[in-house]
Amino acid sequence: MFNLLKQVTDYAKETIQAAKYIGEGLGVTFDHMRRRPVTVQYPYEKLIPSERYRGRIHFEFDKCIACEVCVRVCPINLPVVDWEFKKEIKKKELKHYSIDFGVCIFCGNCVEYCPTNCLSMTEEYELATYDRHQLNFDNVALGRLPYKVTDDPMVTPLREFAYLPKGISEPHDLPKGSQRSGQRPEDITQ
Amino acid sequence: MNSGIDLQGSFIESLKDLGLSQGVAKVLWMPLPMLLMILGATVGVLVCVWLERKVSAAVQQRIGPEYAGPLGVLQPVADGMKLVFKEDIIPAKADSTLFTLGPVLVVLPVFLSYLIVPFGQHLVITDLNVGIFLWISLSSIAPIGLLMSGYSSNNKYSLLGGLRAAAQSISYEIPLAFAVLAIVLMSNSLSTIDIVNQQSGYGILGWNIWRQPVGFIIFWIAALAECERLPFDLPEAEEELVAGYQTEYSGMKFGLFYVGSYVNLVLSSLVFAILYLGGWESPIPIENLASWFGISETNDTLEIIDAAVGIAMTVLKTYFLVFFAVLLRWTVPRVRIDQLLNLGWKFLLPVSLVNLLLTAALKLAFPFAFGG
Repeated sequence: MFNLLKQVTDYAKETIQAAKYIGEGLGVTFDHMRRRPVTVQYPYEKLIPSERYRGRIHFEFDKCIACEVCVRVCPINLPVVDWEFKKEIKKKELKHYSIDFGVCIFCGNCVEYCPTNCLSMTEEYELATYDRHQLNFDNVALGRLPYKVTDDPMVTPLREFAYLPKGISEPHDLPKGSQRSGQRPEDITQ
Repeated sequence: MNSGIDLQGSFIESLKDLGLSQGVAKVLWMPLPMLLMILGATVGVLVCVWLERKVSAAVQQRIGPEYAGPLGVLQPVADGMKLVFKEDIIPAKADSTLFTLGPVLVVLPVFLSYLIVPFGQHLVITDLNVGIFLWISLSSIAPIGLLMSGYSSNNKYSLLGGLRAAAQSISYEIPLAFAVLAIVLMSNSLSTIDIVNQQSGYGILGWNIWRQPVGFIIFWIAALAECERLPFDLPEAEEELVAGYQTEYSGMKFGLFYVGSYVNLVLSSLVFAILYLGGWESPIPIENLASWFGISETNDTLEIIDAAVGIAMTVLKTYFLVFFAVLLRWTVPRVRIDQLLNLGWKFLLPVSLVNLLLTAALKLAFPFAFGG
């Protein structure tokens, strides 16, 4: 008899506990409703990529010495370097250079190891195409500079969290003249 | 007691004055409330879908639909248009008759149940004396449609979804019926109008929610399970079953399931509001307010205000419950099928049975408070 009674009370206790937990959970979800949205309204608002952003690779044809270091450090030997040895000047002459961004993993090794700094990372990340072969950029396409988010009149640029002034965690409606914590590169004169 | 506005009576009277017979006048009247109710239910679904998307977005700190109309109110319309124009595919090895019949059988009873939903003393299509029983019996047709569409899809996920839907509906029908029975016991009638009238008179204090504290929780849990809302959405659990019985459906047939599920949610909230939250009664009775201000009960303006407040109250209570269901969706994780059946048969069934017996005992002991 006592055993049954204990079972019943235990069950009732568990039920009340479960109800309490559901109530707590509802409190959490209800509290989230009054918080501001954390999302970026993408085609109309875009985050400004940080300066370390590893986007599409930029290539300067004239600086390249066709040493093929980029090919050797690439995990899959992706860059295609087409050159010819010119006997009269005893130098390699670059004819074509291409990187297929449909295969590239944007690890940045080629940029890191390029002896003449002819490769660099840009902040471009909108690479969608209708055909994957269009992602195979030749030296002309690689030489194009990306459009800056801050220059686009259609887009409201938003700063990333690390680039917001101290104490502000929301990039929308920043106070006028507000600056990120720390100095901007152009302010450092030394 | 003052009966309020009788639209049907005055419509038939005015037509009779124009020289039409009683029968013709009644036939002319009949399609009007039906059309209005179907329209109301459809608009209710659109609002419900919008609310679901907006509240879900707010809970997840997103904005949700924004560009289709002001605050994205036209988003459900856009969704609906997309479904209308989508290709309607019947899988090659599916049973096309049953496959087509399934969604129809799911949607029809839900819309039919709106027959007994009152928005005021006379604002109801039919005041059946088996009103709430009709709702319970109609809601048991839907699982047949679900099973039918799941089985005829010729797809293992659909079949599993259909079977789960049937098992779930059958298990939760019983506690739901017991919870309703306890209410019926107190109001001595199955008619939805009588159930609301029995709660009227004392404002918020007279509502059944105070007299049925266990019953309303059981009813809400069972109603969520009947609607396949999130803690109990196993039949369409996307992580396990793709989309359950909806997997093979596309176009307007999928649209019917979609509409059906939301109409069902609104309907369940309406029935909950009628059974436990006093239906069209406002928290402070309008009659009391009127007498405090010294306005007579038969004042024409007061009657119109009374009817308007009645509709507003019903809709407000309903959408509060819909909001609560959406909030629950993002709070509670989905239960497993064994937990679902355990909860249904080992917890809700005995508790609802005890609740029913307790209500009967209390009715005998305190007939003044529990409707003798």
